[in-house]
Amino acid sequence: MKPRSAPSRESLLKLMATPVRRKYFETLRRMLGPSGLISIREEQFFLVLAIAIGILAGFCVVVFRVAIAAARLWLLGSSMHPSAPRVVLVPAITGLVIAVLAVRFFPRVRGSGVNQTKGALYIYDGYISTETVVGKFVLSALAIGSGQSLGPEDPSLQIGAGLASALGRWLKLSKERLRLVAPVGAAAGVAAAFNAPITAVLFVIEEVIGRWSAGILGAVVLSAISSVVVERWFMGDEPLFRVPPYHLDHPGELVAYAVLGVVGGAASLLFVKVIKNLRPRLRRLPQWSQYLQPGVAGLLIGFIAIWYPQVMGAGYEWMDLAMHNRFPWTVLGIIAGLKLVSTALSFATGTPGGLFAPVLFMGAMLGGSVAMLEQQLFPAIAVPVGAYALVGMGALFAGILRAPMTSVFMILEVSGNYSIILPVIICNTISYLISRGFQEVPLFDLLSRQDGLDLPSLEEEREQAILRVEDAMRPTMGRALLGDESIASARSIAASTPEEQFLVSLGEGRWSVLSRGALMDPANDASAPVRVLIRVRVPRLYQDQSLDVALRFMKDRPMLPVVHRGNLDLLMGVVSVEDILRTYRKAGLAEPETAEVS
Amino acid sequence: MGMNEETSNCTICKQPLGENGLCQHCDDDTHIWTIQDWRPLLTLAMVIALGFSFTSLVVSSYNDKQKELASEYYAAGLRAMDAKHAPEAVDAFETALVYSRDNFQYRLKLTDALLAAGATSEAEAQLHAFWEQRPGDAQVNLKLARLEAKGGHVDDALRYYINAIEGVWPERTDPITQRIAARFESAEYLIQLHRQEQAQGALLALLAVLPESSPEQVRAGDLFLRNGDSGRALTAYQAVLKRDRNNAEAVMGAAKASFAAGNYLAAKRYLEELKPETVESRELRIQLERMEALDPFARNTTERIRTERTMAAFRIAISRLAACGVPFAEAMSGAGKGSNAKDPEQWSGFAKWAEQLSPMMRERKLRGRDDVIESTMRFAFQAETAAQKNCGQLTLNDDALLLLARERMGAN
Repeated sequence: MKPRSAPSRESLLKLMATPVRRKYFETLRRMLGPSGLISIREEQFFLVLAIAIGILAGFCVVVFRVAIAAARLWLLGSSMHPSAPRVVLVPAITGLVIAVLAVRFFPRVRGSGVNQTKGALYIYDGYISTETVVGKFVLSALAIGSGQSLGPEDPSLQIGAGLASALGRWLKLSKERLRLVAPVGAAAGVAAAFNAPITAVLFVIEEVIGRWSAGILGAVVLSAISSVVVERWFMGDEPLFRVPPYHLDHPGELVAYAVLGVVGGAASLLFVKVIKNLRPRLRRLPQWSQYLQPGVAGLLIGFIAIWYPQVMGAGYEWMDLAMHNRFPWTVLGIIAGLKLVSTALSFATGTPGGLFAPVLFMGAMLGGSVAMLEQQLFPAIAVPVGAYALVGMGALFAGILRAPMTSVFMILEVSGNYSIILPVIICNTISYLISRGFQEVPLFDLLSRQDGLDLPSLEEEREQAILRVEDAMRPTMGRALLGDESIASARSIAASTPEEQFLVSLGEGRWSVLSRGALMDPANDASAPVRVLIRVRVPRLYQDQSLDVALRFMKDRPMLPVVHRGNLDLLMGVVSVEDILRTYRKAGLAEPETAEVS
Repeated sequence: MGMNEETSNCTICKQPLGENGLCQHCDDDTHIWTIQDWRPLLTLAMVIALGFSFTSLVVSSYNDKQKELASEYYAAGLRAMDAKHAPEAVDAFETALVYSRDNFQYRLKLTDALLAAGATSEAEAQLHAFWEQRPGDAQVNLKLARLEAKGGHVDDALRYYINAIEGVWPERTDPITQRIAARFESAEYLIQLHRQEQAQGALLALLAVLPESSPEQVRAGDLFLRNGDSGRALTAYQAVLKRDRNNAEAVMGAAKASFAAGNYLAAKRYLEELKPETVESRELRIQLERMEALDPFARNTTERIRTERTMAAFRIAISRLAACGVPFAEAMSGAGKGSNAKDPEQWSGFAKWAEQLSPMMRERKLRGRDDVIESTMRFAFQAETAAQKNCGQLTLNDDALLLLARERMGAN
C-alpha cells in the first residue's frame, strides 16, 4: 500500500474551490462573522462570564486558603499548641506589619469585605480596585495565619467580587452589568470558602443584593456552582464539619434547643454591642495609633492564647473537636467568651479578615457548652453535643449577621446533615428575634454607617410594608359600561354620574376607558354599540399587585380598572395616579436621619 | 448590532426588522457580542488555563507538605502510645488530623488514644460518628464492640462483634486473619459472660474457618477447654501436635484437656512429655499424684497400700463432713465446731453410714475385704460430692477425691 503524502497547499485550495466546499466555508464564515449565529446578547454573555468568574474566584479562594495555611505554618509552626513566646510575639509583630501595609498601601482592605462589596454595588458602579483585591488577599492571609481572631470567608467574598469587577472592566461591560458583576463574584467567593453554593447564593441575595431578580439570580447561581466545583476539585468534597450522628428522638427535645436559641441571641447581642461601642472609640484615637492597634490586638490575643490557643485564627480544627466532646462545658464557655473578646479586638482595630468563622466558632463553643450543661442538669434528655454545637453556630450566625435564611441553609450545607433542620430553624429564629428586638440596626449596616456610608439596609427594606393596589383603589360610582350596549344606553348611565371618564368592559377581561366628551359627541350614532368608540385598550390591575407596578402601568391614563383574578370582567374598583400618590403620602417612611447611628 | 441585512431579519430573535432597520423586539441599546469581541474571551480562557495550572501546582505542594506533617505527627502519636503517654498521643493524633482530615486510620488511632487517656465518652462519640458514616466497617464495629463490652452493654457488644466479623476489613490488614481474631475475641467475651451455648456456637464457627495448620488452634483449644468442652479442646491441641510434636503449649493443653475429661493417665503421659516443667504443669502433676495417692483401685497396687489409701480417703471425707458441721463427724474428727448443717436428713444418713464403716477402718480388718473398700470409697466420693454442693472451700485432698469420684463413678 502506498503511503499517503501530506496534501499540498494547491490541493487544499483546489478542494475549497469545489462548489460544495465553498458553500460549507461560506456558511462557517457567516456563523462566525460579525452578525453570525454565534453572536450573543450581553445578558447571555453575562451568564457565560458568571461561569468564568466562578472558576477564577474558585482558583483565588483555593490559593487564598493555601496562603493562610502556609502563613500559619511559617509564623506559628505546625503544632496545635505553639510555644508561649511565639504565640505572644507573632500576632503582635505581624499586626504591626499589617497595620503599616493597610494604612500606607491598602486603605480599603480593612474590615470584613461585605460592606465594601455592597458599596461597590450601590455607590461605585461595581468598581473594586485591583490593589484592594491584592491587599485583601495578602493582608488577610497574614492576619489569619498569624493568629488574629478572624476568618477567611468574608475576604473571599471581597476577593471574588474584586476579581469579577476587574474582569467586567476589562471586558467593557455596560454600566448596569458592571454594577451587578461584583455580587456575582461575591457569591463565587463565599461559595468556595464555605464549600456551600446555596448558602452563598442566599447570602448574596439576602445581604448584598437584597432582592430576588431573575436577571442576576442565574448569574449568581452559575458563579457559585462553578467556584464550588473548582474548590471541590482541588480540596475534596467533604463538608466543612463532620458532625456526629443526630436524630430527634422526641419533639420535647426542641424545648432544650430553644434554650440555646435564647443563649445564642444574648451572645449575639453582646457581640454586636461590643463591636458597636469599641470600633468607633478606637477609630477616634489619634491617627498614629492606627499603626499600633492591630499589633496591640495581636499581643492581647497572644496572651489569651498562652492558655487558650483555640482563640487564634479561624479555629475550624477546634470546632471539630468541640463537636466530638473534647472539652468540658466550662472550658467551652470560657473559650466562647474569650473568642468574643479576641474577635472584637481584631475586628475593631481594623485588621483585615472576616467575621463568619469567628461567629461560627463562638456558636459551636456556646452550643457545646449549653449541651453539656443540659446533660448534667437533665440526664434524661438526649443532648448530643455535636448537634448542639452545630445549631449554636446557626444561632450566632442568625443573631449577629442577621441573615436568617442563609443561617439555616449554611448549617445544613456545612454539615451535610439535613435531619438537624428543625432545631436549627427554632434556634435561629429565637436568636434572630432577640437580636433584632434589642439591636435595631444589623451589624453590617451599623459598620457601614460608622464608615460614613449610607448603604441600603436590606433588613429594613425587607421589613417595609409593601403598598398594594387594594390600599389605593376606590369603588366606582356606577357600573362599568359594556362594549356591546348601545351608546344611548351608555349616555343615560353617564348622565347620572359626575365622572368624566368611564371604564368600558369589552368582555374576556379586556377593558378600555372612554371620556365623557367622546361618549356624548352627537356625531356618533346613538344606536351603535359603545365598542365603536373604543380606540385603545387599557391594562387591568389586581388588588394584590404593588402600587409600584400600578404606577408603571398608569402612564398618562386617567384610571385603570382593578378586577377580580377569578373573573376578569368583574370590576372591583378603579385606581388613578392621584389615588396612588395619596396612598404613598399617607403611608410615609422613616426619614434616614432617624435611623440609629452609633 | 445583530441585524442581518441580507434577510432583513434580526439574527437574535429572527423577527423582521423595523423601518429604521432596527429590531423592534430586541432592546436596541443592548450590547451584542460577536466573534470580534471574543478575543478577550479567548484571553480569558487562557487565563483560566493558567490559573488552573498555577492552582494545581500550589495545591499539590500544599498537599505534599500536609501529608508530610500528618505522617510526622502520626508517627509521634504512635511513639507516644507505645510509651504509654496517652495524652501526648491524643495531641499528636489530633494534630495529624488537622493535616489529613479525611484519614480514617488516624481517626481510629485517635479513638484508641482517647480510650487509653480515659476519655471514653469522647472516643465513643467519635466511633458512633464513624459508624454512621461506615456502618459496615469492621474496625469501627470491633472498637465499638469492645467499648460496649466494657460498658456492660452485652447485646450491643455482641451485635458489633458480629458486624466486625462480617464487616469490611481493609485489604492491607489481611481480612481473613482479622476476622478470625474478631471471632476469638467474641468467643472469649461470651465465655467470660458464661454464655456457654452461645460461646460454643461461636467456637464451632471459629473452628470451621480456622485452618488446621494454624498455630491459633492452641488458642481455640484453650477456649474450648474454658467453655467446658474438653473433647474438642483435645482435638484442637492434637491437630497442632500432629505437625509439631514439641509444641509445649499444645502438649500442656492436651494434658489439661485429658485431665478435664477424666483421662488422668493420658494427662500424665502428656505431662511427662513436657520438658522443662512449667508452674502450670507442675501444679497439674501434683494434683495427679495426689489423686494417685488416694486411689485404692489403681493398677499394680499392693494390699497394704490399698487399705492405707482407703483409710486415708475415709479420714478426708470425715474431716470434710466435720467442716460442714455434721455432729457425728465432728465427734469422730474431734473438730467440735457446732452444727451448721443445712440438710440434717442427708447428713444423718452420712453419719449412720460412717458409723457403720468406722469400726472397719483398720488395716487388718480391711485386708481382703474389697466390698468394704468399695463401700468406703463410695462413702468418701458421695460425702465429698454432697459437701461440694453445700459447704465451702475445698482442700487439695478433697479436690483429688472429687476428681477420683468423677473418674470412677461418673459423679458430677
